[in-house]
Amino acid sequence: MTDKPRLTALRLHKALHPIWKNDPGWKGRFTTVNNNDIGTMFILGATGMFLAGGILAMLIRAQLASPRSVFMGPEVYNQIFTMHGTIMMFLFAIPFFEALTVFLLPGMLGTRDLAFPRLSSYGFWCYMIGATIMILALVAGVAPDGGWFMYPPLSSSAFSPGINTDIWLLGISFIEISAIGAAVEVVVTVLRYRAVGMTLDRLPIFAWYMLVVAVMILTAFPPMILGSLILELERAFDMPFFQAEHGGDSLLWQHLFWLFGHPEVYIIFLPAAGVISMILPVMARTTLLGYGWVVAAAISLAVLSFGLWVHHMFTTGIPHMGLAFFSAVSTLVAVPTGVQIFAWIGTLWKGRPELHLPMLWILGFFVTFVMGGLTGVMVAMVPFDWQAHDTYFVVAHLHYVLIGGYVFPMIAAVYYWLPVLTGRKRFFRMGEVAFWLVMAGFHGTFLLLHWAGLLGMRRRIDSIEAGSGWEGINLLASISGFVLAIGFALVILDVAVNAFVAVRGRRNPWNAGTLEWATPIPGPAYNVASIPVVASRYPLHDNPGLPVQIARGEGFLGNPVRNRRETLAVSVARAEPEFIAVFPQNSIIPFAMAVVTSVMFMAPVWKWYGLMLASALGVTALAMCWAWQGGSRRDEGLLDAGRGVSLPPHTEVPCPPGWWGSLFLLLADGVLFGSLLFGYAFLWTVAPNWPPPAILEPGGLGPVLAAGGVVLACAGIRLADRAIRKAGVPWIRLGASLAGLAALGAAAWTVFGGTTHDAHAYDATLWVIAGYVVFHAGVAGLMVLFLMARIRAGYVSARRFGDARVVRLWIDYAALTAILGLGAAWLPGWLA
Amino acid sequence: MSDILRLSLPLTVWIAAFSAVYGLEGVVCSDRWTGAGLTLGQGRAALVAAGALAIALQLALLAGLRLPRFASALPWVQRTAAILAGVALVATVWSLVPVVATSLCL
Repeated sequence: MTDKPRLTALRLHKALHPIWKNDPGWKGRFTTVNNNDIGTMFILGATGMFLAGGILAMLIRAQLASPRSVFMGPEVYNQIFTMHGTIMMFLFAIPFFEALTVFLLPGMLGTRDLAFPRLSSYGFWCYMIGATIMILALVAGVAPDGGWFMYPPLSSSAFSPGINTDIWLLGISFIEISAIGAAVEVVVTVLRYRAVGMTLDRLPIFAWYMLVVAVMILTAFPPMILGSLILELERAFDMPFFQAEHGGDSLLWQHLFWLFGHPEVYIIFLPAAGVISMILPVMARTTLLGYGWVVAAAISLAVLSFGLWVHHMFTTGIPHMGLAFFSAVSTLVAVPTGVQIFAWIGTLWKGRPELHLPMLWILGFFVTFVMGGLTGVMVAMVPFDWQAHDTYFVVAHLHYVLIGGYVFPMIAAVYYWLPVLTGRKRFFRMGEVAFWLVMAGFHGTFLLLHWAGLLGMRRRIDSIEAGSGWEGINLLASISGFVLAIGFALVILDVAVNAFVAVRGRRNPWNAGTLEWATPIPGPAYNVASIPVVASRYPLHDNPGLPVQIARGEGFLGNPVRNRRETLAVSVARAEPEFIAVFPQNSIIPFAMAVVTSVMFMAPVWKWYGLMLASALGVTALAMCWAWQGGSRRDEGLLDAGRGVSLPPHTEVPCPPGWWGSLFLLLADGVLFGSLLFGYAFLWTVAPNWPPPAILEPGGLGPVLAAGGVVLACAGIRLADRAIRKAGVPWIRLGASLAGLAALGAAAWTVFGGTTHDAHAYDATLWVIAGYVVFHAGVAGLMVLFLMARIRAGYVSARRFGDARVVRLWIDYAALTAILGLGAAWLPGWLA
Repeated sequence: MSDILRLSLPLTVWIAAFSAVYGLEGVVCSDRWTGAGLTLGQGRAALVAAGALAIALQLALLAGLRLPRFASALPWVQRTAAILAGVALVATVWSLVPVVATSLCL
């Protein structure tokens, strides 16, 4: 009786392991697409960046420990503080929670991997290559030096010649591919790849938080990517977006940057809040109080955070009413934050808390984050902000929020999920010592720096004067800073020692109720041997035997007869089985594509535009190879999914995973386009030297081409889609769609002919709008050609028409943005 | 997806309305407004009208989400959507109070 389940589970493991295992040897590191491998490498990479950013912080504190320090000159100091901020925000904070999510989410949701495993790999390699480039730039002395928010005109070519700024603009944009990719993955995974019965109200709370955060990434990052792109265009081709004398406005950068920058703070905080909402109930031996209220608070916080961006711009001369709008929302945002804090306190109140190490870090979070939140309300008040802006008060505030509100919970997360990550039980007890060192060091550093800020110490100064009154504070802050660094180093040492040499632990040592604890530890490559059925938020509490049932294959897809990587896709709200998703095998393409993409992004730093174009072609070719590998050349019909249920494969459903991925990618793309139109309207309304000296004449050809192109492209793909579903011949209809897209591109091209890119910000903006339309018409055109090739090769049939649906989505998007973009470009000419 | 829309729509409408009113304030305070022969009083009236429209939209959403026709099959989604619609209404009123309470274009 006791042996039989084990034997069955072992047999299933032996069947699943060869299907999901990595390639052997070092090659396997580059070809793996498995979430456990990618997550582990991601965690190690992000931890390395935390160390690098921490070392830079210590250099800053060494410089400021004494008056008139000669430890560093201003040129080096500028690079050091810029890279400290850049590394901590872009190369540590976001990648670390993404890493944790990549690792944990499939297990937590009871599925076998993230929705797009090759995208995980591509995102990771983009991150690693980009991060390496940034660090090499620092070592070579050409690191960015304009502050982590790169305000023009300081960052313009006139005031920042050289490649330092270009490395930031292009390098960070390249690294953001990783964030956008991870966000698409997370959204589609949480919505479609879950255990059966895991309805929206039974999602693990961390999954809710990550769903919210992923949507935030998709909507917050594009404005900054656009800002980086147009600042680089200004630096490289004199397109004057930020030059007042040519109709530009440096405030446009601040708007685009903070449209990203403020939500970014919540993008960093919310995963930490998700972690706390997972760990705290387990530590308190109870369940989360007010689950629905916490979800509502997370959603509220996420959306409200998009109404705060101007509170970073209170000193830029914006009218009082504008300031009042953003001051109001800045106070409002404290309410959902408070709801979460009180839900956590209530959870502690109703439970029986135990003071394990993760709990200690969460208590550290409570104290520190509440203090940081209160100073946040202070700087949300316009009169106070006018006094404290750009002083060390703000520096201290943001470190309270980011270290207290993010780093402490992440350390709690590492200790809490250490058994899942390593399979080992914590044995060495350095962690407690490290905690107290960090607490003493942190508050010793940053509590004092509030005071320095109130005494008028400006941020980013490379030297303090004797007699300024700041010397004693800075000396104490520097000593405390080194204590803090020692504490963090001990944490990393403690985790490393426990990960490598501690004794093997048992499954679910905390007696948690969520599914990531249902697998053997560390988890196998396939995560769950079968897809479980759940009936509550804490399935392991309902059914302690569930891990054994999963391992014995008693869930869905528990019999891997088709010998391929399969998981289950469910309906969004009710989590009912809908189709079987087939995952790709190990592949070198994501790594190769990341390398070629890095060349495409970095070649313009040295103005090697030929190389950039060549690598763009390389990326296109690799993307086509990538997409070609998916799908099937035969209709499979309904397949046995286990438990008496038959389902179609993902190739035979109207909206396959690629459609869902495209939908959310286009959401990000749409926000970028919206930001571009916002920039155009902003410049037209607010910037000096408008209206421009010459307005584009729309003429007749461009609008006719655009209107005809939209009709042909959209009608053609719809008719082709219908023909495919009736097993008809779609060539002429696809050809019509292709001709329509060409007409759209030609319509946009007329804008180039009627303007001069460097004459005025108006002309420059129209060039970017037209370029956007040409690019999207080109992408959609390539997709039509790709679809034609797929039809010829037998990948598309009356049952397998998902590819056509994906292409239709992209064509519709290209047509819509062409109408809006070209309409905006021609409107002033029509009205004149 | 309709349940996700139920949860996300009210606050999405809030951020759209908030951004639109802020944009309108930018237009009213720009040279283009007076250049078009419009007065600041008319600008204030336009802002108040936009604010009132935003509040009316939120009230309509709050009421609409309670109608059986638009109700979710999941009671939890129904409850949470109602909470979020309430949050969006409060956010709209609070964040747009400045259109009647502060000076314009100073």
